[in-house]
Formats: sequence, structure tokens, C-alpha cells
Amino acid sequence: MIDQFAVFTPTGNLLYGYNSLNKKFSENQINRFVSEFVSQPVKDVLSKFPIISTSDTSYMYHETKQPRLFFVVSFASAESIQLTVEAESVIVLANKLWESLGLNEIILDNVSGKGKKNVHNYRFVTEGASDQISKFGSYLEAKYEEMKKTSQQKGKKQNQSNNKPNSAMPTGKGKQSVKNKKDLNQSKDSKNLKARRWGRDGQIEETGTTDHSLDFSESNGKVGSSSELAVDLKSDRQNAAQFGKQNDKGEFLISEIDELLASTKEKSKAKAAASSPFSFLQKHILGNKTISEEDLKTVLDTLKQKLISKNVAPEVADHLCNQVSKDLIGSKTENWTSVDQTARESLQKCLQSILTPSVSVDLLHEIQKKIKNKDSNGLNDPYVFSVVGVNGVGKSTNLSKLAFWLLKNNFKVLIVACDTFRSGAVEQLRVHVENLAQLTDDNHVRGSKNRRGKSGNEHVELFEGGYGGSNLVTKIAKQAIKYARVEHFDVVLMDTAGRRHNDATLMSPLKSFAEQANPDKIIMVGEALVGTDSVQQAQNFNQAFGKERNLDFFIISKCDTVGELLGTMVNMVYATNIPILFIGVGQTYTDIRTLSVEWAVNSLLS
Amino acid sequence: MGAMLSTPVLLACIIVMISAAFLLIVQKTSANVIPGASKQKNRAPTFIIAGLPQTGKTSLFNLLSTDSNKPTVMSQEPNVAEDYMLPSSHKNFKFKLIDFPGHAKFRSELLQTIKDSSQLKGLIYVIDSTVNPKDLVDTAELLYEILSVTELRPDGVDILLACNKSESFVARPPLKIKDALEAEITEIIKRKSKSLMRNSKKTSNGSVSAEDEDDEPTALQQFGNGFQFDRIDGNVDSKEGSVLKNEVDKWECWIDERAMN
Repeated sequence: MIDQFAVFTPTGNLLYGYNSLNKKFSENQINRFVSEFVSQPVKDVLSKFPIISTSDTSYMYHETKQPRLFFVVSFASAESIQLTVEAESVIVLANKLWESLGLNEIILDNVSGKGKKNVHNYRFVTEGASDQISKFGSYLEAKYEEMKKTSQQKGKKQNQSNNKPNSAMPTGKGKQSVKNKKDLNQSKDSKNLKARRWGRDGQIEETGTTDHSLDFSESNGKVGSSSELAVDLKSDRQNAAQFGKQNDKGEFLISEIDELLASTKEKSKAKAAASSPFSFLQKHILGNKTISEEDLKTVLDTLKQKLISKNVAPEVADHLCNQVSKDLIGSKTENWTSVDQTARESLQKCLQSILTPSVSVDLLHEIQKKIKNKDSNGLNDPYVFSVVGVNGVGKSTNLSKLAFWLLKNNFKVLIVACDTFRSGAVEQLRVHVENLAQLTDDNHVRGSKNRRGKSGNEHVELFEGGYGGSNLVTKIAKQAIKYARVEHFDVVLMDTAGRRHNDATLMSPLKSFAEQANPDKIIMVGEALVGTDSVQQAQNFNQAFGKERNLDFFIISKCDTVGELLGTMVNMVYATNIPILFIGVGQTYTDIRTLSVEWAVNSLLS
Repeated sequence: MGAMLSTPVLLACIIVMISAAFLLIVQKTSANVIPGASKQKNRAPTFIIAGLPQTGKTSLFNLLSTDSNKPTVMSQEPNVAEDYMLPSSHKNFKFKLIDFPGHAKFRSELLQTIKDSSQLKGLIYVIDSTVNPKDLVDTAELLYEILSVTELRPDGVDILLACNKSESFVARPPLKIKDALEAEITEIIKRKSKSLMRNSKKTSNGSVSAEDEDDEPTALQQFGNGFQFDRIDGNVDSKEGSVLKNEVDKWECWIDERAMN
């Protein structure tokens, strides 16, 4: 059973909300959907309508263009096929009802400013549509109740047919086809359901077993084709007849709805798009043209070429172009604006929204907050960063740049050499620490030890544990945090060994490292030079920490070497939905900058 | 003779009239869009509603524009009322009322619109007054970003801190919120001056210019040692109200005052 259903405008007006459990409609649930929807690019569409999942709820949604509306169904989990089918049919039904009640026209008129305005010289989006909407509500509820009823009866029937398997199925198979969509969702009662989960690679991850339903012909049918899904029509009519007896009024209402739906089908057919003689002018100069797919095709091709030439991976460029065409097809260009320009602007918006982080990160504030929490002995936990990445992208260099910035802010920094693998890694860090110590204190003598007998001085220090296997890494990390706590360090920066992202034996230790050391921020350093492989790099590193943990942000290094070819940034953020916080722009300790999204977008489109 | 002369004159007159009418229509419908210019300037007198998510911006917009409460969800696009009219204003003053989504992804659009609106009469910054004053960091952060744009103007922009949800028993008094925000903004200014600077937007000959030019507006940096709303150019008022209970008179008054002059 679905949880909630809502129709709302992108401007945030809830036009209709329905809670299937007759509870109060929860706007918060829809808010969570919107916030997910705006912050992550939707990638794989397996069902008819796209689905977005959060930890406990899945949302299937449909976006209409004229007018712009969202139809959203929320339900418990996306992995159940039955629920997906049910949600799908609810959206189809709702969309049809909405159209046939003429609500779209009313809303379009209201939005375009036709009709009488109120004292505030304003016309609300659903002004004069309240009757229609309440009609919509009662129709939808009636239809949905019917849907549930028949699916329950179906479930009972199925239980029977399970006892004498395959008796009902062949007839259903023969008779199905173009008939009512609603039949599609009259699938099985939830008790009778096989819960399944598909992994990204398409393999079944987990199979929930139930008491009965060992009948495999059925569950295969569910997956494979709709033919076996569709229901024995004969018995369906009988059910409907029974249902009619139970509730005459309901039956009447439903036949009314069906009539309504049938009548609009003809109407919509009659409407044909007439091309205007001015379409060429409209397209290029005048504007105010409804954009069609053909208009966009060439424009998008050139934009895509441009993106790819800027180092954006082809799949990401495809996604962006799809986004643009989804955004534009069916909408109208502004006056005096060509299709070309409109597409560019839409692309700019897309890029901007991908690169803009969905939460603002203020590192200084977070560090200050954490180190303010002192225990009874006046000790505080340090704020821990760890830096990961592929070999040679500049992990140690960027770590040192970060350290320099933190030192300038009067934090005490402990640099930890967790790269116990590559020879010379510890020595390299020692050189950085010596440099940083010199920069913070002119009197520092290179190579001298501080009062604790370590490399560095009072402000910055190197914590080293020699070379060894991956066990040593977690050991060093834990010791370092303990040490930092006792010695009043504010920030711990951990350098890790570079590793190839597609080598499982190298990547797997990252998980235990993240669990044991539990850094406050895991930073991935990616180089701007890398190109298409960056998608895979970012994805693999993001997944390496297990389900509980993600990367926190990226530092994109070597931005000074690529000019405007900043595609890597888009690739990495697209692949993981994790923001870029800093970019490296040069060789010295001060050459690290906060990313300006505007600048990145402009260089990508220039 | 007279008739002969008048025909071309008449024709010319008609042509002039037609083209004038055409231009007028174009100007009216296209709302100051100049062909080729990618950025549209908003020249109409404007009030903007901004704030963090779930503080009640769209609800306030609906209340102001329809005098009734409507159910809302999180917005993804601004709500716009062109030629909005307060029934109380005498001169039939009309202005544009824009309600911006609060989600962080749309923040740059908000700031851009503030920059582009040449006649910004005021900004209504909606605050959830049930939030603990200690947790106002995000609220202060957004306000800081807005201020660093508005304070670039010679007279600044008047801002109303609309402390919404006053019907709740945990709602804080507006003055207390204002003080808390002042303190938070002081901290933010201190932090910003220390944080890493942004890379410059202009790319010189196609490469990242690493010159140490900090393009972050410095309008607020001078207040590093104690920011006060009284010391900035725009007036900042803090008033409580409740969209839910339809108690927004104080805010309407505030809008009225700004709309008048």
C-alpha cells in the first residue's frame, strides 16, 4: 500500500495531499523528497517514473510541464515490485484524472494572469479550481479504494490458486493486453509477497522469504512481462459486480470516473499541434516559442561537444543534456530569446545546481565547535581530517596547504604519516612539517626536535610510526588521536597511501581505517587532469568506506594546469553528489582556494 | 493641393503611430528584456522574502497575496506576484513580491536577484523564532551573505527580521533573536576573514589566475570587532508575527512604510 500521494507546484504550493492511512497528511515527508530531489542528480530510471529513495521511504514522481506540477507517491521501500507497480498506477490514474477534470487549463490561466484578481492584484494558482480539486480528491480516493479492494480479493484468490497452482494463470495470459491500466496493479496482497532487492549490477542481493508463495511461475511473471501480471478479466468483473452490490454509490462514482477518463482520450487526440509560419523567426529572434525536441537537437549536440571538449565525461554530458531537454521541451522561450540561448541558460543553471553544495560547510566553525567541548581534565578531542586519493594526485601537498591555512588560524596541527607503504612518504611529510614550522616560527632550526622529541615545533608536529602493513595504519591513526588529545592539539591531519581505485585489495583497508580512526572529515583529492576516469574514481572511493560513511568533500588539485578544462569537477560531483570545497591552484602553501561555483560554470561554458 | 499634401503626412502619421504602439506593446510584454543581454534586470519596485527552509516563507507569501493560509511544501522555484498591492496603501502603490526558496542550492539565485533588482524596497527575512538562539548559525550565515550583497549599495537595503511562529510557547522574543544574530554575525565575519579566499571569477587568458585578489565583498569586514545592525546602511527591524495565526500586521505595516516612500 502506498503511504502518501501529493500534487504540488515547484513554487511550493501543495494542491492536493492524500494519506492512505487516513492520518494527517505529512508535509514533512514531501519536504524530504523535495530536498533530496534538488540536491541529487537523478540517474538510473528503472521503472516508468523515476524513483528517489531515502533511508526509510521511497518516492516515485512525475513532473508535468504545462503547467509545471509534481505528482509524488511515497511508499515504504523501493525494492518491492508490487509497491512500485501500485505507485505507478496511482500516478497514471492521478495524472489522467487531473487532465480530464480540466485542472491544467485552470492553472495555466491563473499562472498566465488571466481572470479576475483579488484585492492584492494577485491570482492564486488554483483560484476557482477548488471544486475540481475536491472532485479530483474524491475520485482518486474512490478509485484507489477500489484498487486496494480488488488487489486484496486478488490476494485471496491467489492464495486459493496457490493450492492448485497454475489453474488461473493461462486464462489471464490469454485475455490481457490493451485493457485497463488499473488491472496492472491488482497484484498480490503484501502478505503474499516476495521481497527482493536488486543491486546496481542487477543481481539479487537479498530475498525475503514468506510462508507460501513458492510458486515461481508467478514471481517470474511479475518481473518479466505484464502479461501474467494482468488479471483474469472475467473474475475481475465478478469482483466488480460484488463490489457494486456492497456499495452502490461507490460503483456509480467509479463508472462516472471511467466515463470521464474515456471522454478525454478522444479530446486529446483531436488536439493537434499547428506549426506557425513565424516559427523560424520565433526560434531565432522573437522568442515566445514552444520548444520541441527537434529545435533542441542540434543545439544540444553542440553544447554536448563543448562540454566533452572541456573534459566532462560523456555520460555526465549526456545527463546534463537530458536535464536541459527535460527542462525545456514543452516550455516557452522568453520574448526576444532564441532557443539556443535558452538552452545555454538552462545548462548554466544545471551546472550551477550540480556544483553548488546542498549544505554549507564552514570548517573553521566546525573545528571551533568541536575543540570547545572540553572534558573535566581540560582535554578535548581533536578535529580529524584524513586525506585519500589515487597515487600522485597531490594528497600530501594539499594536506600541507590545509595545514598551513589552519596554522595561520592559530590551531595546533598534528600531521600523521599514515602512508606506511611507499618508501619516502614519511620523509616527504617531514620536509613539509619542517617547512611549515619555519613558516610559523622564524627561529625554527631545520631538523631540530621540539620538547617532545618530535619533528616540528610547538604549533605543528609530525607523528610517525615507520613503515608496515595496513594493520599498522589503523594503529598509528588511533595512537595519533590519543596523543593529540593528551598534548592539546586542535587538528589532526592524516595522510594516507595513494591507491588505485579499481584494486579491491588496496581499497578494502579504507573501510576499517574509517571505522577505527573515525575522522570528522574524509577528503578526497582528485586531480583536474584526469578526465573521464574521474567518475569511476570518485564513485569507488566514495563506496570504499561502507554504507555508513561517505566522503565529505573533494579537493581538486592542479587546477592551474588545465585552464578551462574543468570537466573533472563536474564529473566527480555528479558521480557522488559530494561537494568540492577547495581547489589547488599552484605550487606554494598559499595556493589553495575555496571553489567559486560561478567561476567554474563560466569557464565551462566559455 | 491640400489633399495631395496631407496623404503622405497622414501615411507618415499612421506609420509612426503603429510603430509606437508596437514598441509599447513589446516593452510591456517583454518586461525590459533587451535582445542579446543575457541578464535581465529587474527594475520594478520589489520586496523579497528570503530565509532558511521551513521557516514559513511560502506560507507568508500566500497569506500576503490571498489573505488565507494554504498548505505548502518545500519550494524549488520563487513565487512571484507582479504588481502586488497592499489594500492599505493609499496611493495604490504596486510592487513586485518575490518569495525565494530556502534550500542551499538556490542561494546563488537569491543573491543574484538581489543584485539585479535595482529598486529593492525591502527584504523580509523570515526566521523560525522557535530555534534556540545558540543554533542560529545557519540563519546568521544566510543573513550575512545577504547583507554582504545589500551593503554594497550606497544606502543598503532595509531588512525586516520577521520572527515567525510566535504562536509557539517556545518562541523567542524578536529583540533577543536580533542580539543573538548580531553576535553570530560577528563570529562569522571573524571566521570569513580567516578562511581561504575564493578563486577569482575572471580567468585571464584561460588559466586560473592565482593572484591574491579577494573578491568576497568586504562591506562587512570593517565590523570585525563587534557587528551591530545599527551601524550598517540599511535599517534592520525585528518584529514577531505568526503566519499560522494570521498575525502579520506588524510586518504589513513595515512593508507599507517602505512602499510609501
